[in-house]
Amino acid sequence: MTSFPFPRRSPVRISFGIGLAILTVFGLVPAVGVLVVSFTDLRGLPYLPVNWVGIDNYVTFFSPSKWPDSLNALQNTIIFALASTVVQIVAALGIALLLNRPLRGRNFYRAVVFMPTVLGVTVTGLVWSLMFNVSGGPAKSVFALFGAHSAFFGDPHLALSLVILVQIWMVVGVSVIIFLAGLQAVPEELYEAAAIDGATAWKRFRWVTVPMLAPSITANVLLGIVNALQSYQLTFVLTGPNNHSTQVLSLLVYVQGFGGASGTTLSQSQGYASAVSMVQFVLVAVVSLIALVILRRREAKL
Amino acid sequence: MATKKLRGRSLAQRLAAGAIAIATVGALAACSSGTSSSSGDSGPSGKLQILVSSADASDAAFRAVDAAFEKKYPKVNVVLSSVSNDNYPATKSSRLTAGNVDLFVVKGMWETPSYAKSSESDDVRLAKAGGLLDLSKQSFMKKYTPTVLSAQAIGGKQYAVPTGVSYSTGIYYNKAVFQKYGLSVPTTWDEFTKVIDELKAKGVTPFGVGGKDGWPAGLPMLGSVGSLYPSASDKKALAKSLWTNETKLTDKLPTKVLDQTETVLENAQQGAAGAGYDSIPAGFAAGDYAMVPDGTWNEPTIASAVGSKFDFGYFPFPGSDDAKDNAYLNGKIELQLAVPTSSKNQTAALAWLKFFSQASNYKGFLEKSGFSSAQPDISTSAFLKSIAPYTEKYQPAWDQIWVANNKAGQDAVYPFNYPALKPLGSSTPEQAAQAAQTAWAAAF
Repeated sequence: MTSFPFPRRSPVRISFGIGLAILTVFGLVPAVGVLVVSFTDLRGLPYLPVNWVGIDNYVTFFSPSKWPDSLNALQNTIIFALASTVVQIVAALGIALLLNRPLRGRNFYRAVVFMPTVLGVTVTGLVWSLMFNVSGGPAKSVFALFGAHSAFFGDPHLALSLVILVQIWMVVGVSVIIFLAGLQAVPEELYEAAAIDGATAWKRFRWVTVPMLAPSITANVLLGIVNALQSYQLTFVLTGPNNHSTQVLSLLVYVQGFGGASGTTLSQSQGYASAVSMVQFVLVAVVSLIALVILRRREAKL
Repeated sequence: MATKKLRGRSLAQRLAAGAIAIATVGALAACSSGTSSSSGDSGPSGKLQILVSSADASDAAFRAVDAAFEKKYPKVNVVLSSVSNDNYPATKSSRLTAGNVDLFVVKGMWETPSYAKSSESDDVRLAKAGGLLDLSKQSFMKKYTPTVLSAQAIGGKQYAVPTGVSYSTGIYYNKAVFQKYGLSVPTTWDEFTKVIDELKAKGVTPFGVGGKDGWPAGLPMLGSVGSLYPSASDKKALAKSLWTNETKLTDKLPTKVLDQTETVLENAQQGAAGAGYDSIPAGFAAGDYAMVPDGTWNEPTIASAVGSKFDFGYFPFPGSDDAKDNAYLNGKIELQLAVPTSSKNQTAALAWLKFFSQASNYKGFLEKSGFSSAQPDISTSAFLKSIAPYTEKYQPAWDQIWVANNKAGQDAVYPFNYPALKPLGSSTPEQAAQAAQTAWAAAF
């Protein structure tokens, strides 16, 4: 005899059914569609014939003529994901620890930290474009105080770092919230017991806070990695679609699928873009799985 | 906690639950794309949706034409969508697929040479596949200059109305600054570099470039190709010899194109690589730099920024040591408007094109857009008259001849690799040329 916590099963089935149907129509079907399209030369324009090209698009991605661009995008994606995730986690943990202490105006500070997340990509892009405006933005004035100057988002050596900085600024609020929730679940007695045993503040952090926060760290790292590996909107808004120094894989997908390069006869190819996005999917899946396995093992040890 | 064993459910109930779920999803997914069509019997009516790639001046010009058109045809509601160049292909693709555009800008509309057939532009493919209305027999097409029409013919047919002609290989200069330092308009590369040195010696920044947007930094490249390969046949021969790999991008003359582009970029204002194209007219007006490589399409914006502060002029990029090679500006056919066969309101679209092509309306459009006329016998603005000696002979610019290879890497798109040059990238002209050649050669 099975037991069930609700009086009837039908509402549950209906609501699950709706959820499943939405997920299937808007998630699963397009995902399978992208896989199929990656074996065609679909151009995304009506009237143009669509041909089955087998694995041509994948061969092209790894071909000698496209590989330097592909490699550049892969490198930028990995740097972007690693740097933004690591810095974001460290910064978020620091901010969360600070905001978890009894502090006057704590809720106000929490709201301030979370606010950039609410602003969205376009507003964030606009704000930081103005901050780093080369013809009179605040950053230019600060640089000028030290007699320095920079093209900021136009500087090929600096652009990616700046985009990473803005990305962290934009998403750190979510990580802070997750850490705060985790911190508030740590029983006070553990700290008291550690203090009675003579543990220093660092030891209390290392041997009480971190182990108890392990599930939050796992969630944040995974969210951070997946988010960063897929992110292109901010890069697009801040540095444009064709900037070699900031071109990440998802941006390559966008340019190939929907843009070509402005001012050229290059045609768009959604077939090729789909192949690139499948490569990206494999990358995201592999990196996320490895991270998940490592973090779960670590959680168990802690 | 109270638990209850579930009753078995009838097939009918399950089907009903499934149907409700599907209906809900359907309701969520449903989206309207109602485009009213014209009745056809009493002139155009309904919604006319126009999609253009944006520039401040041409947007204003289109809006003025739209307003006049609506006044003449009150039953038509014109909806103009103006989208930035970078986002234009994506928007065009989705609007065409959704079938909710009646008139839109096509790009890269010129016959692809046989050696580059595999790299035909999207819009040429669209025209050949029957996606665009054949406008060849429309009476308003007769108003346009035959040489312009022949340059955009695909398979001998006309698929677009050329809204004008623009010149992209010239340089705006501040006449007051030139006069102050006793400089005259340079006509050779040697004179040009002397002007640059002279300005620098006086503490004046020679050029203003909006490098953040990428393409404005490519205008000096177009200028350089324009004078080092002065005629259309020179450029066509270059394009063919690159595609057949007889010429290499690392050869002397192609590398010189990058050298000259680098000369402009390295003498541009501080932070040029991060400056937006839109910020340049204001900087020019403020006297931050003495020259701006830009197209004639931007003249109305520059003129309104400068106001009465000083006079400015426009001269062709003098890349050659022979002044004769630098005598003409190179141009392009501006925003070409086509009617998709999927348009739900072709009557209104054709009526709009006819209205647009009438001399009085077209003249108003040219005044606001800054385009040169694509119709003969239309008098032009004072600025365009001032550059008439440079435009006597229509010379297509390099980007109107070059067909990029879809199989080549990004370094060989233009194929002169200006985005890699300092300060946009971190390469010297030789390194940029080498990277371009490697990317190009790997595609064959």
